[in-house]
Amino acid sequence: MPMRKGARRCFPTPEGGGLHVAIMMSAIIEVEHLTKRYGSARGITDVSFQVEEGAALGFLGPNGAGKTTTIRLLMALLRADAGTARIAGMDAWEQSVAIKRIIGYLPGELSLDPGLTGGQILEYFGHLRGGVDQAYLKQLIARLEVDPTKKFRQYSSGNKRKIGIIQAFMCRPRVLFLDEPTNGLDPLNQQEFARMVKEANGEGRTVFLSSHILTEVEQMCTRVAIIREGQLVRVGGIAELKDIKRYEVVITFAAAAPTDAFKQIPSVEQVTALADGHTLRLEMTGELDAVVKAAAQYSVVSLTTQEPSLEDIFLRYYEGDGLAASTGAGSAAKEASHVVQ
Amino acid sequence: MWFSNIYLKTLRDYRIAILGWGLGLGLLLYVLLSSFTKLVGATPAAKAALVSLAGSYDWIAEPIQVATPGGYATWKYGFTILVLAIWPLLVGARTLRGEEERGSMDALLSLPQGRTRVALEKLAAMWTALLAMGLLIGLLGFAGSASANAGIGLGDTLLYGLNLALIAGVFGGIALLISQFTQTPGAAAGATGGLLVLAIIVDMLHRVFNGTEWLSRLSPVYYYNLSKPLIPSYGVNPGGMLVVVAFSLVTSGAAIWLFARRDVGAAIALPAWLRLPARAMTPERVLPVNDWSLRSIYARSLSSALVPTFWWTVVIAGFSGWLVEIVSQTEKNLSALYTSSPTLSHLLSKVGGGDVTTNATLLSFIFVILALLLMAFAVTQVSGWAADEENGRLELPLTTPQSRLTVVLARYGALATATVVIGVLTLAVTALASAATGLKLDGGNLAAATLGMIPLGLLVAALGYLFAGWLRAAVETGLLSFLLVIWFFITFIGPELNWPDATLRLSALYYYGTPLVNGLSVGDTLIVLAVAVVALGLAAFRFTRKDIAH
Repeated sequence: MPMRKGARRCFPTPEGGGLHVAIMMSAIIEVEHLTKRYGSARGITDVSFQVEEGAALGFLGPNGAGKTTTIRLLMALLRADAGTARIAGMDAWEQSVAIKRIIGYLPGELSLDPGLTGGQILEYFGHLRGGVDQAYLKQLIARLEVDPTKKFRQYSSGNKRKIGIIQAFMCRPRVLFLDEPTNGLDPLNQQEFARMVKEANGEGRTVFLSSHILTEVEQMCTRVAIIREGQLVRVGGIAELKDIKRYEVVITFAAAAPTDAFKQIPSVEQVTALADGHTLRLEMTGELDAVVKAAAQYSVVSLTTQEPSLEDIFLRYYEGDGLAASTGAGSAAKEASHVVQ
Repeated sequence: MWFSNIYLKTLRDYRIAILGWGLGLGLLLYVLLSSFTKLVGATPAAKAALVSLAGSYDWIAEPIQVATPGGYATWKYGFTILVLAIWPLLVGARTLRGEEERGSMDALLSLPQGRTRVALEKLAAMWTALLAMGLLIGLLGFAGSASANAGIGLGDTLLYGLNLALIAGVFGGIALLISQFTQTPGAAAGATGGLLVLAIIVDMLHRVFNGTEWLSRLSPVYYYNLSKPLIPSYGVNPGGMLVVVAFSLVTSGAAIWLFARRDVGAAIALPAWLRLPARAMTPERVLPVNDWSLRSIYARSLSSALVPTFWWTVVIAGFSGWLVEIVSQTEKNLSALYTSSPTLSHLLSKVGGGDVTTNATLLSFIFVILALLLMAFAVTQVSGWAADEENGRLELPLTTPQSRLTVVLARYGALATATVVIGVLTLAVTALASAATGLKLDGGNLAAATLGMIPLGLLVAALGYLFAGWLRAAVETGLLSFLLVIWFFITFIGPELNWPDATLRLSALYYYGTPLVNGLSVGDTLIVLAVAVVALGLAAFRFTRKDIAH
């Protein structure tokens, strides 16, 4: 197997049984110009990105944006119309069996034999994956507090999800593909799941997590890719996305609020005087420095800033006033889609 | 219009079934009535022989005026026409429980309509569909009668269709009631299927054993058989028909009453004495590490097929053994009929493949039906493959390190194993029955006849896997079933209509031949196996390349 340019890390290939054959590379997931169409319906178009081994990527987008299609292409459940997808250097379609020895997958919609117990399902998939560490499996079952003696049909949706999560994690896969993983989980179990993801990521496992819940991506992932109408509009670190934030600063003055003092500051987009006459609300897009210096000219009672959530950023893209949207998923989006980790 | 209420939406779902069942059974009746004179009623001697034969086969149906077209059709189709009950049986099992299993019942019941109304509209749609099927059967029956001047009026054939629809509906009601006590529609359908067979057997008892009529009266089929509208002089028994209606009202009413009161998604708890004892939860059961059925896709598929394989074996092997017994008892009557009805002799010798005066020839004729049953088994099993993909159950297995080829071949292999088991057990049972009754059958030919069915089962399974590459489960099952019906027609009607050999070769049953009389044709068997291999190869090729449904 050829050595890839920019190689930084050694890891064993699955075919080599983890012992003899090794390649060097930095990206464990490489997607290039991947396209999938469902007749006239939208699929994904010309999606390109890479995920570095050991990264935790949040794949964000609303329903129907193409998140599941992308994951199912990577899982070789769908065949791409154009483009390539590689995992650990192997073609996602041609070498899917080898790839599946190193991945764990939690589908967005879990459909399993309703007549089998949770325990039977886990053992079955354990066998299909070539064996499972029973002690670790029991540990996962205990950790998520699921009763493996119940039949699948008798589980609540949350417990069905837990069975799916356990089967994805139980073989300690090198790459975890998690499609909307917390659907149906209660907040406590969502927290436990987040800890499991962080632990797995901390052990060097790569996490590819699709979601439309931005807070869970913020919590579990280090990088974010945003997909919109089948096209990738942005890939970057959580912090990078926050760089383009629009945030709010609320300043309360001891005397009447000096509205004009802030209107000329470039990073201030909008100034609103609140009804009490002493408080200003500033909508910001850039550095706070000029605002602080301007406020220091007056007697300030309080100054608070509100950090944007990814929700705010996300909405910006979809409201059409974000970087990508403003270019109609054009040049800026294209540029963003080629951001390499 | 079709989406304006639950009744119309449900009726719309049944439109293909109405046409399929109505036209299918109607055509059968048409063919039988229109060909009666030519087939068995040509001469007084043939008619007399038929009357004699029918007396020996009264377990099928009470032989009344069997020398007339209507009497013959009533006797000939006997309980087999109750195959129509399979449709309402499946509908009754699924109509509420199926929606609950899929989770769509929650949404349906969130609408401003009471549960009773929802259930009643669904039940009304089933009954409308059944009556439409009865209407089609009646109309086609009348057409058959008219074409042969059989003298059966339109009212009579319509009453025949109505009576048939009414008895079939009873099993829809029973399935609906049983589904209130089961977690899955499959369990309700299976139990109702068992009750259908039981009801037929219980009705049969009084025709075979004296003094058992009181027992037969417990079966709704008994009351269905009280009416014989195709025999104008016999007519209908309104009381019997009302009892059949009453069966439906009671079972459906009880089902709806229970549905309106129970938790959605839950089953009514059975009394303690009817429940299976709860198994103690051992560590092995919590995580069944050593469970053989979980070790591979093949083992899992085989395990899933165990129960249906058992029951189909009981039916096919049991039927075969019973027929050996029956044939050995009716040897004289059969001989008389053969010699007096050249047309029937011709048909039997063509399909049965030998001298009509031998028992083996008649058995050979009937063995074609057994082969058809084995193919039907394959249809039921292969439908699970397409359904699994449709329901997303292939998604996770395909994300394990199993190639798609392995998955499809493992599933097919399990079905092939079940098919072989049924064939082998049928051989064993038939051989035992033959030995027990003293009926002389060539051992080699018997083995050829029973084991020769296996390639046909494998062929149907392979075609099913091939169709599943493109079609939804319901369409694939419908297409395969249609294929079986067509093959059946070609094989059983074609020779009578002097269809050319090229046409007869279109039926897979043609290649089965007449092994009980003439042994297995290696060439024909290889043709079937070759087609099966090609179909499986294409199916595997398609499956390894297609998008998995989501």
